Parts: sequence; C-alpha cells; structure tokens
Amino acid sequence: MNQVDSEPMIVQPRGWRKGLRYALLIFTALLFIAPAFWMLSSALKPNYEIFAIPPVWWPSSPRWENFRDALTALPFGRFALNTLLIAGFSIVGHLISCTLVAYAFARFDAPGKGFFFVLLLSTLMLPYPVTMVPLYIIYSRLGWVNSFLPLIVPAFFANAFYVFLLRQSFKQTPPDLEEAARIDGANTLQVLWHIVLPISTPALATVAIFTFQATWNDFLGPLIFLHDQSKYTLTLGLSFFRSSYDVNWAYLMASSLVISLPVILVFFLAQKAFIQGVGYTGSKI
Amino acid sequence: MKRVLFFISILLIAVVGLAACGTQEAPLETVVVTQIVQGTPETVVVTQIVSEVVVVTPTPEPPAEGAVTVVRVGTGDSGEGLAPHQQIIQAFEDANPEIILQLEPVAGRDYYARLLTQLAAKAAPDIMQVGDDAVPSFVEKGAFLPLEEGSFDPSIYLPGLLEPGQVDGVQYLLPKDYTPLGVYYNKKLFDAAGVAYPQEGWTWEDMLATAQALTKDEDGDGNPEVWGIQLPASWTTGFEYWVAAAGGRLISEDGKSFVGYMDSPEVIRAVQFYADLYNKHKVAPPPADLNQWGGGNAEFGNGQAAMRLFGRWPQSGFKDNPNIDLGVAPPPQDAVRANVLFWGGFGVASTTEVAEETFKFLNFYTGEPGSQVWKDWALPPVQSVAESSGLAADPIEGVWISELNHLVPRAYLFTPYWNETADPALRKALETVLLDPTADVTAVMQQAAQEAQAALDKLLQ
Amino acid sequence: MRDVKSRIHHSSIMRSPRKRREAITFYLFISPWLLGFLFFTLGPMLLSLYSSFTDWDLLTSPVWVGLQNYSDAFADALFYQSLKVTAIYTLLYVPLDLLGGLMLALLVNARMRGVRFFRTVFYLPTVFSGVVFVVVWLWMLNPRGGLINLALSQIGIEGPRWLMDPDLALYSLVMMSFWGWGRSMVIFLAGLQTIPGELYEAAAIDGANGWQQFYKVTLPLLTPTIFFNLVLSVIFTFQTFTSAFVATDGGPLDSTLFLVLYIYRQAFQFLNMGYASALAWILFAIILVLTLIVVRSQRFWVFYLGEKAQ
Repeated sequence: MNQVDSEPMIVQPRGWRKGLRYALLIFTALLFIAPAFWMLSSALKPNYEIFAIPPVWWPSSPRWENFRDALTALPFGRFALNTLLIAGFSIVGHLISCTLVAYAFARFDAPGKGFFFVLLLSTLMLPYPVTMVPLYIIYSRLGWVNSFLPLIVPAFFANAFYVFLLRQSFKQTPPDLEEAARIDGANTLQVLWHIVLPISTPALATVAIFTFQATWNDFLGPLIFLHDQSKYTLTLGLSFFRSSYDVNWAYLMASSLVISLPVILVFFLAQKAFIQGVGYTGSKI
Repeated sequence: MKRVLFFISILLIAVVGLAACGTQEAPLETVVVTQIVQGTPETVVVTQIVSEVVVVTPTPEPPAEGAVTVVRVGTGDSGEGLAPHQQIIQAFEDANPEIILQLEPVAGRDYYARLLTQLAAKAAPDIMQVGDDAVPSFVEKGAFLPLEEGSFDPSIYLPGLLEPGQVDGVQYLLPKDYTPLGVYYNKKLFDAAGVAYPQEGWTWEDMLATAQALTKDEDGDGNPEVWGIQLPASWTTGFEYWVAAAGGRLISEDGKSFVGYMDSPEVIRAVQFYADLYNKHKVAPPPADLNQWGGGNAEFGNGQAAMRLFGRWPQSGFKDNPNIDLGVAPPPQDAVRANVLFWGGFGVASTTEVAEETFKFLNFYTGEPGSQVWKDWALPPVQSVAESSGLAADPIEGVWISELNHLVPRAYLFTPYWNETADPALRKALETVLLDPTADVTAVMQQAAQEAQAALDKLLQ
Repeated sequence: MRDVKSRIHHSSIMRSPRKRREAITFYLFISPWLLGFLFFTLGPMLLSLYSSFTDWDLLTSPVWVGLQNYSDAFADALFYQSLKVTAIYTLLYVPLDLLGGLMLALLVNARMRGVRFFRTVFYLPTVFSGVVFVVVWLWMLNPRGGLINLALSQIGIEGPRWLMDPDLALYSLVMMSFWGWGRSMVIFLAGLQTIPGELYEAAAIDGANGWQQFYKVTLPLLTPTIFFNLVLSVIFTFQTFTSAFVATDGGPLDSTLFLVLYIYRQAFQFLNMGYASALAWILFAIILVLTLIVVRSQRFWVFYLGEKAQ
C-alpha cells in the first residue's frame, strides 16, 4: 500500500488557464440555466403573459402567490410522502441488490456468465408501451395493483442499468486489496463490505442519485399502478395541471420548480460523495 | 457508503419537511376515506405499510364489514376539473351512505393508455369516462353495459347529446360534458379597428373580410402585429366543421368509401379556403407548434389575434385575461350552417360487480343533480338546468348551447377504423397544404383519399 | 492468483473445485436479479412476444394470427419511416451525448471555487420532468417570438421554422438534446474518480504534457465508462418517446415519427396491441444485435484496471 495524494484526479488550474476555464464554465452555465430561469419567470406570470410575443423576460408584478396557489391546489404534501416512500425503498433496494449482482458480474467466472449479462441488458430493450399491459396483468393477479408494491418490490431484485454501472466501477478497481483481505481470511461478503464498497462510493452515490431522480420523476409506473388519488405521486400531480385542451402554465411551472428542489439539493450535496470518495483509494497497481 | 446513507437521510428529512408543510392543506377527505374503507385483500397489505408512515388525516370510524360498496370512477379530467367530480361525489355519498365512490383521475391523453391497460387486465373502473370517437369501438368490443329503456330519462337532455353515447340505437353512455365549436372574438381589437362583431348568419366570405379588416401590419415587416383569426392548424377533428359547412363529408354513409368523399369538390373547397386563410390572405398566424403546446397558439390570448376558432375549453382563461374583452359567435356558414360536437360521457363497465350501485350513481351524475354542479364549471347537459340557471340566455354561454341545433354527425360514427385510416391521411394532407403554399390541394386530397381507402380496404378484408 | 479474464471451457471449470465454488458464488450473488427476472420480467416479455403473434385490441381476447403482424410490418411504409427517423436520431444523438458529457465532466473536474455550483447547473435540466423540459424547448424554438429566432433576428438572420419544418424538425430535436448531457457528465465524473493519481505522476515524470496525459492516461482508463455510456445510450435512444410525444406528435409529415411513438399509437390509439408488440420485438432484435456488436468489440478497446494484463 502506498498512500498518495488523496484526490489525484482533480485538476487545479492556475493563472490564465483558470480564467479561461471560468469563462467557459460561465458561458456554458448560462445555456444550462436558461430553462430554469424561464420556468421561474413563467411561474410568476399570469397565464396570458407566458407566451407573449415579444417575450416578457421578467413580469412587471411577479405573482409569488402562484407558488402558494399551485402547491395548495392539490394535496402535494400527500403526493410528496408517497413519492418519498417509493424513492426511499427503491434506493435501498437498488443499493443492496445491484451491488451483489454487479460484484458477481465483475469478479466471478462461471459458465453462462456472458449469456446472463446480455440477458440482463436485454431487459432494457423492450419499449414500455408493450410491456406495461402484461406487467399490469401480472401485478393485478398478484393483487398488488393500487399499492406501492409494483413500484418498490422490483427494486430489490436489481435493475440492469445500475448493475451495469456498478460492474464497470468494480472492474475498474484493482483486485489486490480484495486478494489480500481474502488471504487474511475474510469471506466474500466481508470483502465486499469492508473493501469494495468504500472504494466504490462514487458509483454507489451515482446509483442512489439516479434512482432517487428516476423514481421522483417516474410517470408511467405510477400512472398505471396507482389508481386512487390518495396514492398518487408528485409527477402524477404535476400532470393534473394540463388537460387535453388547456394547460395551467404558471401552476405547472411553479410546482415543477418546487418539486425539483429536493433532487437539486441532493445532487448538490452528494457531490462530496462521488468526487471525494476517491480519497479511500491509493493502491499500487 | 456511510456518505451515501448520510445523503439519503438528509434527503428523507428534507422531503418529509416539505411534505409536512403541504399536508395541512390537503383537501381530499373523500379519498382518504375510501382508502381506509376499501376492504379488498390487495389493499389491506398496503394500508398497513402506509399507515406506519403516513398519518395525515384522522381515521374515520370503519363501517361494519359488507355495509358499504365501493364504486370506482375513471375520469380523464384533472386538476381544477376534478372539483365538480368531487362535489357530485360528496353529494351522492351524503344521500347514499352505503356507497363509497373512489375517483381515479388521469390527466389528458394518458388516460386511455391506463384505461386500456386496466380493461385488458379486466380491472377497469366500474364507471368509465370515454370521449366521443372512442365510444363505437369500446362498445362494440363489449366494454360497456347497455342502458335499459326506462333506466334513464332521455327527455331531460339538450338536443344532440344522447346520440354520441349510442351504438345501433342502444344507449350505452350518458353525457358528462360537451362543446361545439365557436368563434371567440376580442371586442377590444374589433372596436379599435372599427369592425362590426360577427353575427349569426355570417358566411365564410364575411369571415374572410372581417379577418382582413382586422389584420394589421403597421411596420410592414410581413409579420402582422394583429392577426385576423387564429385557427387550429392540422387539428383533424376540428376540421370536420369546415367540411360539413361546405356541404361535404369525408366518408360514405355505409362507412366503406373515402374515395369520392375526401376528394370531393366540397372537401377540396373547404381545404382550399382554410389553407388560403393562412397562405394567400395571410390573416391567420402560421402554426408554430403542431401539438398546441409551448405557446405556438397563444396569439388570441396575447391580444394579437382578433378571433379564434375552437371549443369552449379555454374560455374561463379568456374571461380573466385583461388583453381580451370576450365575445363568442357561431362558426360562419357556407353551403350549410353546420357545427360539430366534442363530447365526453360516462358508462358502466361490463366487468363491474356492483352494477346496481353504479347505475344509480350514473343517473345521479349525468342527471339533474350532477348538472346542477357542472353548470358552474362547464356546459350542463340537462336542459332544465341550462334554462333555470340562465346559461341558455347568457350572451356567451347561450351561443354554445344553441349551437347544439346545428350539429352534423362526425365521421368516426361511420367506421370503427376512422382513427387509423382517414385521420392520419387527413392530418398529413392538412400539414402539406399549410406548410407548402404551392401545394395543389386537389392532388393532395386525392392522394389522401386513396391512402385512407387503401388502409381501410385492408382492414375490411 | 485468480485469473479474472479466463475463458475456460465449461468442462474444465467443473473439473476444478475452486472454479466450481466460484461459479456457485456467482449464481448465488446474481440470484436476486435472476429471481426478479423470472418473477417480474420474463412473464411480461413472453406475454408481449405471444401477443406479437396475435390480433389483440386489448378489449377482447387475442386471436392467433401467426406471423401476420411481422409480414405486415415489413410492408408498412410508416414502419420504415419510423425506423429511419429513429436510426438517424440515434446516430446523431449518441456521439453528441458521449462527447458533450465527457467535455462537461472534464470542465467541472477541477478544484476551483464554485465548481460544485457549476456541476449542479449542468445537471439541472435533466432534473425537470420530461414534459416540462420539452415545453421550455418548444417555447425557445417558436418561430415567431421564440428565444432562438429572436436572437438570430438581432444579427439580421431570419430564423427557420424549426419544429414546423419537416426537413428540420428531427434535427431540432437532436439540437434540443444538449440539455440532457448532465446525465452522462455525472457518469463520466464518477469514472474519472476511479483513475489513480500515481498514473499521472508517472506520466508527468516521463514528460507528458496535458494533452498527452489525457490521451495516454485519462482516455484509456475511461474506456469502461465510455463503453457503459455507449451501450446504454444506444439502448435508450432507440426507445426515444417523450420529446416527440409532447413536442411534435410525430409530425410534421411524419418527420419525427419515432418507432416507439408509432408503437404507442398502434397500441393505444388504434387498439392494435398485437401489431404494436410485433414492432416492439423487431426493435428489440435491432437493439440486441447492436448491443452484442458493442459488447463483443469491448476486448479491442476497453481497458479495465481491475484486470491483469495478459
């Protein structure tokens, strides 16, 4: 073991390079922040002003009450709790199940491994419009429809996307430490827990963030499986602001912004985990 | 790993906080009640899980086992549009304590994906809302129970509202809400230009002249500041009005031919006139957005178009809009004084196990008590309510209601395959003539008729 | 030492007790997924495969029609159109997404004040739900009064009609996609963290400059991440749905009729679930073949640090 600089990959530009990088960052950031800005400005307008030509950049009298009205127009508190419940269980489920499966695909050899890996990926390849009816039929036979179970339970049985993500990360870490631990008498689960997981924090954090965001924004799953309003999620609530022929733009934008805040916050905070998590590594090749 | 868990817990705390702020104002008591009452095995499991985490409303006394029947209500209405549903449900539950209604709303066009999924699994709501053009196929495939004669009163409805719920003369669905087409106009822009408001009896030529008089391009950049009339681009169902007014039809009476109809002189005249409003006379803002999302159709709301042809859906927003001093006129006539109806109705699912209770609610909902609630939100289907509430005599609402006397049957009534044969062909034809001012309308419609015919012939084989 | 990369024949694996134990561990560890696959995934897949051989309107029972749906598909002009649209979009989207995500990741992989803020900003557009995101774009692309054409008119250019132009609509959708780069940025960022710093020190001692370091160290060690992004990007891009469903509904003149949009239309608007399933399985076969090609190509260009050089 040879402990080196704990955050080696992050560059530290100085001088004109630093200035250039800031210029690039700011320019790109303007492009990426534009949608959020427009959403905010729209959320503060009356509906008839949102699509004015030429555009109104900022309303002359911002209607901050649109936020209050949008969030109280529907039981968003209940929706948030429901969504949180699904997201929480899904994150836990994915972290446990996908780690196990991904570790097997990364480290062990077995006959049929290649086949099963492609089979795993193939579960992502059928478009949802044709699987949702059979899925619904199966869950309704199980009696799970109109409950959170169809949205939670599968997370405990691994998901191809996250398995693949973690597999790549595991394969990228040298097995020396694991070998050493094994020689010291650790079993596979202990190796996984004490050696592999700490090194893999960036990938695990990515899985957690993506799962959180995916369940937070999932629309078609809740749409099909949750029947009555008391079980609806935030995205279903959002969709209530647009009917076939009329859209309440200001409310839609206001509630979208508020609903996105937790995801943004989590992403901002979780960066620590997936940028600095590398501090644990430092093994020699 | 610890850090991951740390962030998950931060997140959980953050959102619980957010949720806690919101729940106090949650108004959906009915929903909370139904969740607890419903005693089917599958929901028991869930409520146990949920009840540990979600403690939102005080649990009401659970009624004795078997004392209540749950009726599931499927609707494509959403948001503010749910308020009348909830009011009607509340009123019905107050009068019938042994029945509980579970409202299952889905917004907009996702509604059918869910409804069809549920139907395929034989798990559909007991009472289902379906829009006009879906009625024939749903009924023919056995999704709805027929309404027996004497089980409802057909005499209470405004004219033309029962027919969309019938197949082969048997009533399956009853009307929930509806709208014909109308021409919204902005009196401010008319007054500023000194143009007379549109009147009953006006013709296509009058409309063109009015629109031309209102179109203003002060700076001469070819991009008018005010347009004469905002039109619904390639919206095929709305286009049926133009065809009917020109005295044409899109499909033969026996439902087997598009050739000789979609390419008839009347239809070609309608398409030509419509396209000319955009391309030749330039009185209509060119479409910016096919799906009518994202502000591509905002000119009337911006006070930048003097008229708009559409259904009643966005009317309440126009009334609140300070850019607009609203008036509504009938659509202009050409060879025929015509209009088309957009209609949503309720019917009882053939899979229901609580038919008696569901029929009872259907009658309540689509009858006088329901209309009394609906009248504050949309056009009421029941004649006595339309009259007693004064809506029938209202200068705006009265126009919509009296348009029911000018309805012509929509094309979907003549073939169950309308949506997959003529509809895409017509849409493509309209897109072609709107996007390409040099397109030969006759040739385009002939091609559309042949495409539609070929698709239909294949299905009829 | 365990030989991770060994490709030993079935029989020889079974001959060694060590190999057999390893195989048992493998199956034990993947059993959560395997069970889930059998219970929740295999059933729906087989059901949809079955329905692809039937005439099924969702309301009545499916009727067996054999290969009819498949032969219909190969005579369906709209199927070819949707396949073309989907293929062009994928061909443009996937490389742009990989490049864009990588560039953003390199840009924010720096120790500078405020860099966490910038990372969040780049990720921001992917956070908003699909519909809202598309609507913002629609507004920007509005030919009259949209932000982009407004900007173009400032410099004297008359902007195109974007999504209303059949020749341009699909490319407008590709253009819209840059706001989704944040997702691959995150994966690349996580991938960058797995590259040990000593390698750079070694490269610097050898006199490599910044570009050489990137080319000799970063890029090779990032190949597992690139591989991952490539495979999933291909799988998901072939199933593009929301942007067309919300923005264009396949138009104008079917120029944005994506395959999954057409499948959705056949299933839920035309009530041809049997035909829709057949189209879906053709799509499945296409994606599977492409994925297999990429997976097979792995050994030529993907380099895992965790594997011993042979």
